[in-house]
Amino acid sequence: MDFPQNMSMEEAFALAEAEARLNAALQESKVRFDKAEMPNRLNEDWRFGRPHVYAREWAARFKDGENCFEYVGFDNSDEHITRLTADDEDLRQTEMLMPTIGSDALLALHLKRFGDGHVLYIEEDTKEPICLGYGTRWAASPSTFIMVAPGVKAEVAITYACLEIGYIFATCNIQVAEGAELKVRVNTWGDGADGRCMLITNIQNMGGKVAHLTEYQGLRWVREETVAEIYAPGSETKLFSANKLGENAVLDQHTKQIHHAGGATSDLLYKNVLDGNATATFAGNIYVAPGAHNTDAYQSNRNLMLSEDATVNSLPGLEILADKVRCSHGSASGPMDEEQLFYLLSRGIPTYEAHQLIADGFLNEAIEKFKG
Amino acid sequence: MSLVIKNLHARVKDGAPILNGINLEIPKGEVHAIMGPNGSGKSTLSKVLCGHPDYEVTAGSAEMDGQDLFAMSVDERSRAGLFLAFQYPVEVPGVTNANFMRAALKARLPEGEEVDAVSFYKELRGKMKQLGMDPKFTARAVNEGFSGGEKKRNDILQMMMLNPSYAILDETDSGLDVDALRIVSEGVNAMRAPFRSFLVITHYKRLLDYIRPDVVHVLYQGQIVRTAGFEMVDYIEQHGFDFLKTSEE
Ligand SMILES: Nc1ncnc2c1ncn2[C@@H]1O[C@H](COP(=O)(O)OP(=O)(O)OP(=O)(O)O)[C@@H](O)[C@H]1O
Ligand SMILES: [Mg+2]
Repeated sequence: MDFPQNMSMEEAFALAEAEARLNAALQESKVRFDKAEMPNRLNEDWRFGRPHVYAREWAARFKDGENCFEYVGFDNSDEHITRLTADDEDLRQTEMLMPTIGSDALLALHLKRFGDGHVLYIEEDTKEPICLGYGTRWAASPSTFIMVAPGVKAEVAITYACLEIGYIFATCNIQVAEGAELKVRVNTWGDGADGRCMLITNIQNMGGKVAHLTEYQGLRWVREETVAEIYAPGSETKLFSANKLGENAVLDQHTKQIHHAGGATSDLLYKNVLDGNATATFAGNIYVAPGAHNTDAYQSNRNLMLSEDATVNSLPGLEILADKVRCSHGSASGPMDEEQLFYLLSRGIPTYEAHQLIADGFLNEAIEKFKG
Repeated sequence: MSLVIKNLHARVKDGAPILNGINLEIPKGEVHAIMGPNGSGKSTLSKVLCGHPDYEVTAGSAEMDGQDLFAMSVDERSRAGLFLAFQYPVEVPGVTNANFMRAALKARLPEGEEVDAVSFYKELRGKMKQLGMDPKFTARAVNEGFSGGEKKRNDILQMMMLNPSYAILDETDSGLDVDALRIVSEGVNAMRAPFRSFLVITHYKRLLDYIRPDVVHVLYQGQIVRTAGFEMVDYIEQHGFDFLKTSEE
């Protein structure tokens, strides 16, 4: 280790200590990776995710991708944002402890590269959404941490751009304190070639209101693992997704609404429009812990099929271990409503535009509910 | 110039025949009314003219100013000047009234041209005011959660914005309150012109008192069985359709 000249003993000591911690953390993530199972088809959480194609290529790119790594980060340099640094031990621990739904091994790979991303400690109401963006043509692994202080209202917009054959593996940790209100809108897009994105999100709601929306467009493959954990009564957690999937697109979404505390609500609405031979998988779980009485938890997955070659796998699940719980889950997939289409056509709107309008309208329900 | 329907036969796809040889000519500038018992085929006729996919034309023809309607797609017929105000206007979730109207108007412009937003909103707001509609309806999804009467007004609004040459109004009066009936009728009357025709389908005299038709047809079992003047409206109002059944025997 090279110490800069003129460094005091204390500074040198602190630096050495930081480096030691970093090495220990790297070792820890290596151990975690070695222990974890790479995604495979026998793993229930990866049943429809085509792990043999995607996860392995993915791991390879992130393993030896160091030199080819291209990363562009931009933000609106709001005072709430600081850049993440590799030696932030607390946040590394937070990320290390993130629950995944089948992707522990990939998360461990991500941890090895820990250090790109942003930290948002939001202690005052935001007037405009705080915007963050990440993009790559090869491989990027940004982490975002959002913490909202008690009683504070905030909006955050995150964009992930997978250009050409870019892969993004992103994590997002969200903590909402009592009485806080947060809206997070995640937009992920590709320019159509072969972009792939994986997003692991953990929401911890301590008695606030949080709404989370993801939107995907123009990507080849997307996997999303979203775990919302509800820790306090009075919490409101809303999860939305609105996606347009075209030819060859594969979307693989996994969610958990975990009610640790009673007297809280969670609501999920995931909607997709599928065209061509697109595939969408939704596996959602509502878990109500013993003692989490008076929970309201809902979950709905709706798909509009524009093509007969598109496939939907919808696997909603419930596990309720408390009393006085109101829960519902449902999924529905169907073609475009003939009467709606005829109505638009009868006003002179051409077929293609009519399809687009109806498809956008279908997704709008989730977007409008997110806006509240 | 007219809408000419000759010997039109149509049935539900792979199902029962509903229209059994309709002959009807509506010259430009005239208002015709169609009356007839429930299930006689009035809505089917209007939907067949617009090209609804549930139905199949098995014989006959329909020409609009010399153009073969049945050779055109649904949207082409509309852009060529045909309009149907539906008996049951459809809800289109998530698509705002404004975006819907703008798409319909854009489809009438040359390729690549955009609707001018300022004049569009001005016109839309003006017509909504004329129909007693709250301006908030521009931002609401098409007909979603609208009351019965609001849906009917919304269809008339679309007609006013699209300026068709041939407008079919299928029971536009049902669901309208007395004030709305007057407002909508005034709107229709204001649009009467030598270059435009109306086909008004209704069960009630009160609408036709406002919109005086030039000719009244009676549709029964998929055929036009009577064509007369306004006196037919009074007759039906008083005696119902029993005369059709007795004349059959
Ligand atoms: N898509 C369809 N499938 C099956 N039957 C149909 C269909 N459309 C119309 N019909 C039948 O055709 C007949 C005529 O229906 P239509 O709606 O045209 O009647 P109408 O004259 O408009 O009646 P109303 O005065 O009640 O509005 C009815 O018996 C109806 O049930
Ligand atoms: Mg009818």
